[in-house]
Amino acid sequence: MTSPAIAISDNTSSDPRQRAPLITCAPDCALITETVCRVVEREKTPLAWYAAFAVSSSFTVVMFLAIGYLFLRGVGVWGNNIPVAWAWDIVNFVFWVGIGHAGTLISAILFLFRQNWRTSINRFAEAMTIFAVMCAGIFPAVHIGRVWVVYWLAPYPNQMQMWPNFRSPLLWDVFAVSTYATVSLLFWYLGMIPDLATLRDRAASRWRKLAYGLFALGWRGSARQWHRYERAYLLLAALATPLVLSVHSVVSFDFAVSQVPGWHTTIFPPYFVAGAIFSGFAMVVTLMVPARAFFGLKELVTIRHLDNMNKVILATSCIVGYAYATEFFIAWYSGSQYELFAFLNRARGPYYWAYWTMVVCNVVVPQVLWLKKCRTTPWIMVIVAILVNVGMWFERFVIIVTSLSRDFLPSSWGHYAPTRIDVAMLLGSFGLFFTLFLLFCRYLPMVAMAEVKAAVSHHPGSDHRH
Amino acid sequence: MPSLESHENGRKPWRSMAELAGAPEFRALLEAEFPKEADPQGINRRRWLQLMGASLALAGTSGCRWEKEEIMPFAERPERRTAGLPERYATAMDLAGAAIGLLVTAFDGRPIKIEGNPLHPQSLGATDSLAQAAILGLYDPDRSRQVFHRQPGSRETAADWERFEAFFREHFGGLRETKGAGFAVLSDSDSSPTVARLRGQLRNAFPQASWYEYEPLSRDHERLGSIQAFGAAYRTQLRLDRAGVIACFDADLFGDHPAALAAIRQFAERRQPDERMNRLYAIESCYTITGAAADHRLAIRPSEIGGFLNQLEAMVEGAEGQTPPEWKRLLEAIADDLEGHRGGSLLVAGPSQPPEVHAAVHRLNAALDNAGQTIVYTQDPDPERPAHFEALRALVARMERGEVQTLLVLGGNPVYDAPADLAFAAAFSKVATRIHLSQFDNETSQAATWRLPQAHFLEAWGDARGFDGTYSIVQPLIEPLWGGRSKIELLAAIAGMEAPGGYDQVRETFKGLIAGEEFESRWRKCLHDGVLEGSAWPAVTPQLVEKGPASQPPDENRKGEPGGLEIVFQRDGSVYDGRFANNGWLQELPDPMTRLTWDNAVLVGPATAERLGLAGEVLVRLTSGGRRIEAPVFIMPGQAEDTLAIALGYGRTAAGQVGGSARLEVKPVGVDAYRLRRCEAPYFDGPATIEPLGAVSRLAATQNHHAIDTIALEGKARRLGQLVREATRGEFLEHPEIIAHALHLPGGAKEGELNSLWEEHSHDGYRWGMSIDLAKCIGCGACVTACQAENNIPVVGKERVLEGRQMHWLRVDRYFKGSPEGPSVVHQPVACHHCENAPCEQVCPVAATVHSREGLNDMVYNRCVGTRYCANNCPYKVRRFNFFYYHFNLEKPGNGVLKMAFNPEVTVRSRGVMEKCTYCVQRIQAAKIAAKNEAVASGDPGRRVRDGQVETACQQACPARAIEFGDLDDKKSRVAAAHGSDRAYGMLAELNIKPRTKYLARIRNPHPSLDTSEHDQSGHRD
Repeated sequence: MTSPAIAISDNTSSDPRQRAPLITCAPDCALITETVCRVVEREKTPLAWYAAFAVSSSFTVVMFLAIGYLFLRGVGVWGNNIPVAWAWDIVNFVFWVGIGHAGTLISAILFLFRQNWRTSINRFAEAMTIFAVMCAGIFPAVHIGRVWVVYWLAPYPNQMQMWPNFRSPLLWDVFAVSTYATVSLLFWYLGMIPDLATLRDRAASRWRKLAYGLFALGWRGSARQWHRYERAYLLLAALATPLVLSVHSVVSFDFAVSQVPGWHTTIFPPYFVAGAIFSGFAMVVTLMVPARAFFGLKELVTIRHLDNMNKVILATSCIVGYAYATEFFIAWYSGSQYELFAFLNRARGPYYWAYWTMVVCNVVVPQVLWLKKCRTTPWIMVIVAILVNVGMWFERFVIIVTSLSRDFLPSSWGHYAPTRIDVAMLLGSFGLFFTLFLLFCRYLPMVAMAEVKAAVSHHPGSDHRH
Repeated sequence: MPSLESHENGRKPWRSMAELAGAPEFRALLEAEFPKEADPQGINRRRWLQLMGASLALAGTSGCRWEKEEIMPFAERPERRTAGLPERYATAMDLAGAAIGLLVTAFDGRPIKIEGNPLHPQSLGATDSLAQAAILGLYDPDRSRQVFHRQPGSRETAADWERFEAFFREHFGGLRETKGAGFAVLSDSDSSPTVARLRGQLRNAFPQASWYEYEPLSRDHERLGSIQAFGAAYRTQLRLDRAGVIACFDADLFGDHPAALAAIRQFAERRQPDERMNRLYAIESCYTITGAAADHRLAIRPSEIGGFLNQLEAMVEGAEGQTPPEWKRLLEAIADDLEGHRGGSLLVAGPSQPPEVHAAVHRLNAALDNAGQTIVYTQDPDPERPAHFEALRALVARMERGEVQTLLVLGGNPVYDAPADLAFAAAFSKVATRIHLSQFDNETSQAATWRLPQAHFLEAWGDARGFDGTYSIVQPLIEPLWGGRSKIELLAAIAGMEAPGGYDQVRETFKGLIAGEEFESRWRKCLHDGVLEGSAWPAVTPQLVEKGPASQPPDENRKGEPGGLEIVFQRDGSVYDGRFANNGWLQELPDPMTRLTWDNAVLVGPATAERLGLAGEVLVRLTSGGRRIEAPVFIMPGQAEDTLAIALGYGRTAAGQVGGSARLEVKPVGVDAYRLRRCEAPYFDGPATIEPLGAVSRLAATQNHHAIDTIALEGKARRLGQLVREATRGEFLEHPEIIAHALHLPGGAKEGELNSLWEEHSHDGYRWGMSIDLAKCIGCGACVTACQAENNIPVVGKERVLEGRQMHWLRVDRYFKGSPEGPSVVHQPVACHHCENAPCEQVCPVAATVHSREGLNDMVYNRCVGTRYCANNCPYKVRRFNFFYYHFNLEKPGNGVLKMAFNPEVTVRSRGVMEKCTYCVQRIQAAKIAAKNEAVASGDPGRRVRDGQVETACQQACPARAIEFGDLDDKKSRVAAAHGSDRAYGMLAELNIKPRTKYLARIRNPHPSLDTSEHDQSGHRD
C-alpha cells in the first residue's frame, strides 16, 4: 500500500529498538477530537450512507417479515427436520455469538494487558459485539416451537411452581448470553460517556445537545469523575474478561454436553473460544478497513492496528486448525466407531463441500498472513477476513448439520436443505447487523477519543523523539 | 316471488359475469360448493333460507352423529355401561372374501380402536395394518354421504333412499315380471353366508338374472390349480405350526395371504433357536417380507418359478435333470430338507403364479405326505364360481352386446381396477341402469346412474367367514354416519324379503347354521365371542387326478428376446387393490421393504438398473402390450433381475382428498398400473420396455432419502452387526454368549453394569420394560398403524415425509445386508426406549421430558416449548416434532367427523411440541386403576397389575407376538424372562443410557450346506 500518509510515517515497523507510533497523525488532542467528531457532526449525510442504509434496512425488514411468517406457520417453514432438528437457526446463533467476541476481548482483556493499541479500535469492536449479540439473541428466541412461552426458559416464580431444568446447557446458554450482552453493553456505554460529553459540548443544534447530553449523564470531566470512571472501567473490564471465555464455552456446551457423535467432544470450549475470537477479529477487520477509509480515520486506525489484528487472526486460525486435527485424532484414538464415522463423514460424506470450504477458509487462507505484505495490505486482509467469516459460518454448519444428519442409527440418517425462509433470515440478520452498524457510524463516536488521547499522551511524543 | 323471476334483465341479482351469462363453469363451481343447491329444480329461495337457517342452528351440534329421532335421554343406563369407560365388542372385517375377527373399542358410542379377537383362529388377537386403519376409513370425510341419481342425458342430482326405493320398486317390479332378463349383479368377493343366501333368494326372484363376482386381486390361480390337480376347487389351509421346512414360490405368505395373521403366528412360534426351529425358503421375484424372514432366498423372474419347481419336482422324485448351476445348490438343499421332513414340510405358491404351478405344488405336497398334515384342504365356499377374470370378461361381453340393461354393482371399483384390455368402462356405459353401492364415490360410482352410500362394516349387521371358514357375526358399533346401507340390506330389499333389515337377515342365516337348537343363547354367545365355535370347514382329502402331460408347468418366458423385461404387478400392503387409497394412515405407512410412502414406483434391481442406465427417482415410460404408463424408478436390491415391479392400487382419480380426486383437484397418489394389466397375464407380463424420460419425480421414502455414498455404506456395515444382532442357530446353540459379544465394553463390563457419573433414578412400584424379538418380527408394520390409531398420531403428507418430518412414534427400520443383488434384510421396530439415563431428559431446558417413578420417560406436552434439543440428543431418533399444526385438516368444512377417530385418552398435540412413544401410558394407567379397584374389591392391598394386563398397542397388534411388555421387577413376567435371555441386548447400551427396551437377537436357520455365516460375519463380531 502506498498511501502517502503511511509512506510518510509507517508505523508497522517491528524493530525492537524503536517503539512504533500508535497513531500516524500528530498526537494532538484537538486533532483527534476533530477527526472523530467530524464524522458524527457532518451536516449532510453522505449519499453512500443512505444507499447502504437502504439496502441493510430492507434486509432487516425481510428478516422481521420472515420471523412473522415463522410465528404464523411454525418452525416447519425452515428446513429443519428429524434428525436435523437444529440447523441454520442455531448455526446463525453460534456464528453471531462468535462475531460478538472480538469486542470484549479487545476492550477488556487487552485493557488489562495494557495493550494501548486497542484504544483506536475498541469502541468500534465493542459496538460490533453488541450488534452481533443482538443478532445472535434473536435466533434461539424464535427457533423454539412455541415462541409464545419463551419466557419459561427464565427462572421466575410462577404458579406452576416450576424451575427450569438447571442441568440443561440450553439454560446455561440463556444465562451466559444474557450476562454477556448486559456486561458488554454496560462496558461499551461506560467507555463512551466522556466522548458523548465531548459531542454534547460540541453540539451545534439543540436536539443534538439534548440527546448527547442525556446519555452523557452529566459528565464534566472532573478529576473525581475521571477517578471513579477509571475505577469502574477497570472493574468492568475485570468482570468482562472471564465472560469472554465463558460465553462461547457455554455455547459450546450445547454441543459438548450432548452425546451426538461430533458434538460430544471435550475440546469444544477452548476450540469455540478460539474460533469466536478468530471470527470476531475477522469481522472487525472486514468492517474497519472500509470504515477507516470512508470516514477518514486512517491516521487513528493505522495499518499497525490492522497488522496486530491480523496477527491475532493468524494465531487463532492456527489454534482452530489444530483443533480440527485434534478432533480427528481423538475420534480415531477414542476407538468409538460412531465418533470416527462422524468425522470421516464430515470430510467425505454428503456435506464434504461444507467441510472443505471450512478448512480452506479457516486454516489455509489465513496462512497468507504470515507475510507482512498481506497483513498490511488492506484489500488482501479484507478478502482474507471475509473468507474467514464464511469459513466460520460453515464451521458451525458442519458441526451442527453434518453431525445431526448422520448419528447413531443409519435408518434415521437424513438430509437437510434450507428453505427460502432460512436464507431470508440469514441475510436478514446481516441486514440488521449492518443497519445498527451504519447508525453507529453516523451517530456515535467510532473511536474512543478520550482513551486514544490518554494512550498517546502517556508516551508524549515518544514515537517522534526517538 | 315470481315477479322477481320475470324481470329477466337487470333486476335479477347476480354474483358474477359468469353467472349472469349462465356459464357452465359457474354451474360447475356452484355444484362443487353446494351440490344440493345446484339442483335447478330442487330448491327455491325460501327453502334455501329455511335450510340455511336450520343448518346454522345445527352448526352447534356438528359433533353429533345421531339422527335427531335417535337421541334418547340417558335416564336409564344400559346394562354394564359406565359413562367414560370404553366398551369392547366383537365383530369381524371381511377383506376380499376372507374375514378376521376383531374386538373394537368404543368410547361413548364411537369406535376408536380395533384389535384382533384372540378367539378367532384367523386373528389370534392380532391384526394387520388394514384392519387397524379401518377406523380412519369409517370416519373418512370423503365417504359417500348421499344417494345420487343421474337421469339419462342429464346431470347428476342428489336424491335420497326414499327416491331410490320408489325407483327400485317400480324398476325391479318390472324386472320381476320379465324374470330378471337383462339384470346382472357384479359383486366383490364376500364371505358372508347371508349374502350367499340372499343371492339364492335373488335367483329365485329373478331366475334370468346373472351374478358375477370380481376381485382384481384374488387367489383364483390357486383355486384353478386345485381344479387341475384334484378335479375340483379346494381351499388350501396352511398349518405352519406343523411344518419344519417351508418353501414359498413367489408366495408372500406373511404379506398377502388371507390367513397371513395365523401363518405369521405359527411361523414365529417356531423361530426359537431350539430343535423345533423351522426353516423357510423363499423363491420369489419381488422382495417381500416373507423373503426377508426366509433363511434362504432366491430372486428369479416370476416366469422362472415354474421351471424351478419342475427341477425340484424332478429332484424329489429322484429323476436326473439338467439343473442350472446357479440354482443347483439351493435346489439340493431344499430337496434334502423336504426329504428329511416328509409330512412336516410345506410348499406353497403365490397367487400370481399360474394354475399349473399351483397344481405342481399340490402334487409335490401330496408326494411329500404333507397333504393332510401341513397342508389341509377344505371345501371351497362357492365351488361353481368362475374365475374372477373370466366372470368379468363374460359380463363385459354381455354388456357390449347390449344384453344387460340393469347392472347392480355391489362394492368394488371395476371401472378403475378392471384389466385394461377389457375396456370395462366403455361397456359399462352401455348399460341403461347402473346402480353402484359403495362406501366411496369412486371411479365406478361416478359412471353409475345411481350411486348409493354403503355402510361400513362397523355400521351395519352382517356376517363373515374366515379363510378357514370360521363364522363370525359382523356387529355394528355405530349407526351409519351417512345413512349408508349394507349389501345385505340392499339385496334383501331387491329380493323382496319381508324383513330387509340386516339384523333380521343375519339372524335368519344364523338359524340355518346352528340347526335350530338354543338359538338365542348361541346367538348371544357368538355375538359375544365373535366366533361360532366349530364353524371352520372340516378337512377333506381330495384325490389327485392322473398326472397328465398338460399339467406340467410351462416354462414360459415372458421376457421375450434376451435382455427383455418382465413386468410384475404387486399387491400393495397399504392401499391393497386401491380401495384404501384415501386412508392417510395407510398411505403414510412405509412399505415394509421399500420404505416408500405416498407412492408406488417401478422397482428395478440394481444390476438391471445399471444395465438400463436407470437411477432412482427417474421418471420412466413403461410399455407393455402396447399400453404405457409413466412412473418413477426405485432401485430395489433383491428384486429379480430383468423384472420391473409396480404396485397396483395407485393413481386413483376419484378416491378423495387424500388419495387423489379430479373433482377436488387433488393429484392422484402414485401411478395407476391397472392400465397395463391384461386379463391374460394379470400378475406378470412381458416383454416390457422401459424408457427414461429425463425428468425426476421425488419419492418419499422414510429411509435413505438420498443416495447412499461409500462412506455411509462403510459406516453402516461396521455398526449393523452391533445394532441388529444376528446369529445362526448353530452358532447360537454352540456359543450363546455370541450375542453379548457383538460389542466389547470397556473393562469387559456387561451391559447395564457400566458406572454412571450421576446418581441414577430410583424407581418404585413398577419397572416397565419392553422386549422385541427380532427372530419373530417379520416387519409387516401392523404395529406402526396400531400405534398411530392408539396415540392420535397425525398424518403429515408426502411433502412433509420428503422433508423428513413423518410423525410415527414407532417405526420399523429395514436394513439390507450383503450384496446388492442377493441381500438379506432385517427389520427392527424402534420406538422410545425409555432409557433410565435418558439423554433427552437432561438437556430439556424446561423439564418437559422427565422420568416417572416407574421408569417411564414422560413427555409433558403442556410444558414443552419446542427447543428440539431432546430430539438431537436422542440416539434412537424416535422423537417427533410438530413442525406445523398438523390437525388443520380437521377445520376444513366437512372434515370434523375425523375428530371422532381420536382416542380421548391421549392428548392431541399441537404445533411446536415434541412427542414420542409413551409405552402407551394411558393403558398402563387404566390397568393400574383396574388393579387398585380389584385390590379394594378383593381386600388384598398387595394386588398389582398382572403380567399381560397391560398390552401396548403395538404389542397387541403384532401377529408374531414379537413384542412383550410388562413389569421388569416381576421376575415371572414374560418381559423379564425375555430380558434375561441370552439373546437379549440393548441397542446402543454402550452409551450407558440403560434402555428399557431390549431386543432379542435374530436367529437364522440356514441349511448346513448353504451356511456361510461363519466366514461372512466373523469380521463383524470382533
